[in-house]
Amino acid sequence: MPDLELLYNRYKKYMYFILAIVALGWGFTVFKTFFAGLFLGISVSFLNLWLLKQRTLRLSKAVQKNKTVYSIGTFSRLAYVALAVLVALKYPDVFHLIATIIGFTVSYIVIFIDLIVLFFKKQFRQEER
Amino acid sequence: MGALAAAIAVGLAALGAGLGNGLIVSKTVEGMARQPEASGLLRTTMFIGIAFVEAIPIMGVVIAFIAIFL
Repeated sequence: MPDLELLYNRYKKYMYFILAIVALGWGFTVFKTFFAGLFLGISVSFLNLWLLKQRTLRLSKAVQKNKTVYSIGTFSRLAYVALAVLVALKYPDVFHLIATIIGFTVSYIVIFIDLIVLFFKKQFRQEER
Repeated sequence: MGALAAAIAVGLAALGAGLGNGLIVSKTVEGMARQPEASGLLRTTMFIGIAFVEAIPIMGVVIAFIAIFL
């Protein structure tokens, strides 16, 4: 398993790539509300991923220095999601609600696919030996 | 009834996430204390574990807000 920073940088690359595709979809297709909702959802998902990485690193450093950490930020991540849902509910002609909800799951899909790729790479290396 | 549904959705999802996250973090910290040289691997595993545990309460929050406002 690679280091957290390395792993996060890879996820970041994939997320930027997906965000760019969604932005292109918003700009060049007629499904403006769908892609705007997707962009909002993916942005919040990306923010949550970054926040989780920061909190995990902080916890890890605190354990090494024998200090205390009181929270890993679950509540703030849930609050960001709630805010995005409220925005999508408040402006239904700008952001599509279902697309926003699909956007929240994008970071999990990215992590899952990356783990599957890592698993198969590991299997392939073991077979080569 | 919408508010009650929202409260149950968020409350139970947050309860599950709290228990799950607590178990993950406690075991990770224990592992880091026992083997400081494995802390890199442990924190990566913890990161992925917490990310997946929090998927369900996030959907719970979404369902709760839809139950309140739609």
